[in-house]
Amino acid sequence: MKRYVMYIAVLAAVLAALPAEGRAATAEENYQFYCAQCHGTGGRGDGPNAVESQPVSPRDHTSAVAMNKLTDEDIINAIEGGGAATSKSVLMPPFGKTLTKAEVVELKDYLRKLCKCKGK
Amino acid sequence: MSSAKTVSVLFLTVALSLICSGPANAGVADGRRVFEAKKCGSCHQSVGPAAEKTIKDQLAKKGPELWYAGSKFRPGFLEGWLANPKPIRPLQYNSVTKKNDGGHARLNTAEATDVAAYLMSLTSNEVRPSNIQPGDNPRGKRVFITKVACYGCHELNSRGKVVGGLSGPSLVGASRRLNVDWVFAYLTNPQVFKPVKDMPNYVGIIDKKEMADLAAYVTGLE
Ligand code: HEC
Ligand code: HEC
Ligand code: HEC
Repeated sequence: MKRYVMYIAVLAAVLAALPAEGRAATAEENYQFYCAQCHGTGGRGDGPNAVESQPVSPRDHTSAVAMNKLTDEDIINAIEGGGAATSKSVLMPPFGKTLTKAEVVELKDYLRKLCKCKGK
Repeated sequence: MSSAKTVSVLFLTVALSLICSGPANAGVADGRRVFEAKKCGSCHQSVGPAAEKTIKDQLAKKGPELWYAGSKFRPGFLEGWLANPKPIRPLQYNSVTKKNDGGHARLNTAEATDVAAYLMSLTSNEVRPSNIQPGDNPRGKRVFITKVACYGCHELNSRGKVVGGLSGPSLVGASRRLNVDWVFAYLTNPQVFKPVKDMPNYVGIIDKKEMADLAAYVTGLE
């Protein structure tokens, strides 16, 4: 038993010491890196790319009214295929070849936390 | 003359002629010395291949990589920029909130010429002559504007007005800055040059023909 505990402790220590590479990014990291440039660091649709000359503003991810119109499937489709996949503006880019399916689903959950809404 | 002497005289002659073979080579060596003396490498990776594997790796970088500079830039661009650097990225490197106010290290004309020669010697054999002609390519423009909206993150000149997003390097004046073959390689083979970046990977979303048209259009931008 004691040896078993030791083994787990050593394993945990090794895992914690592993370099960041090889570990998947968290939804927070992905959002701040890929999405915040348009949707803003707080998700309010006010990132640096939301300049006046753009024809469409990025969605405010904190707005329950706007985000409730989307099903979980809609959100996943929009992230993977961009605006073209949900008949919205192509200013929303496709990330299906950049993020893994698991990362996209975690981002969907992250958006649900931002809007504090469940969708239709 | 003994044969050993003949060989050493021959060796010296060849070595001397190599050392003295024209100003181009001298510029590369001098440029490299300036690059090292000014610690440019503290912010710029000058030896490939790409090392970043995660977002954390990318965020730890202090400047864009230069290990393929000779494939990326148009001849003549770096000399001018290094002597008089103007912001290329509207935002500070790796920031989505702070404006880039300039202030990049500046070199005198002689240093700039040598460092440019050194940087132009750093090429990638993943960039091959593609025969794509830079210019006002209407198909490329259609992809850039209406198909995938590259202007969402990149500035460009549209009828004398600068429009577009700020998170990517500005494409205003890209015709003087970027080599068309590199842009094509960057779009078709992003893993080689920039495996982790906040620009989406478009391989599998737009095809090679469209990427060739895009490369032509981008490197035709004034
Ligand atoms: C280049 C800017 C840009 C980036 C980067 C971007 N978005 Fe968007 N996004 C937009 C715009 C603009 C819209 C609004 C489209 C419309 O209303 O027609 C939008 C809309 C959306 C929508 C609503 C789609 C719908 O069908 O209503 C979701 C969900 C979304 N973005 C999620 C994300 C996520 C997650 C990321 C990061 C992985 C991201 N976006 C990155 C610009 C961007
Ligand atoms: C403190 C970090 C730092 C140092 C030191 C530094 N640079 Fe830079 N360099 C940057 C950043 C950040 C950029 C992006 C600037 C921009 O986009 O306007 C840049 C851009 C460049 C570019 C253009 C690259 C591109 O892809 O657009 C070249 C060339 C360059 N630097 C060369 C040098 C040389 C040569 C030196 C040494 C004399 C040097 N740098 C020192 C941070 C640095
Ligand atoms: C979501 C924002 C975004 C979109 C959309 C986007 N880019 Fe980018 N692009 C960037 C960023 C950020 C970089 C800089 C990456 C780095 O070096 O870290 C970049 C770099 C580039 C470069 C290299 C420029 C240089 O000087 O290093 C080219 C060329 C380019 N993009 C072309 C395009 C084209 C063509 C499209 C449309 C198919 C496109 N981009 C769409 C954000 C974007």
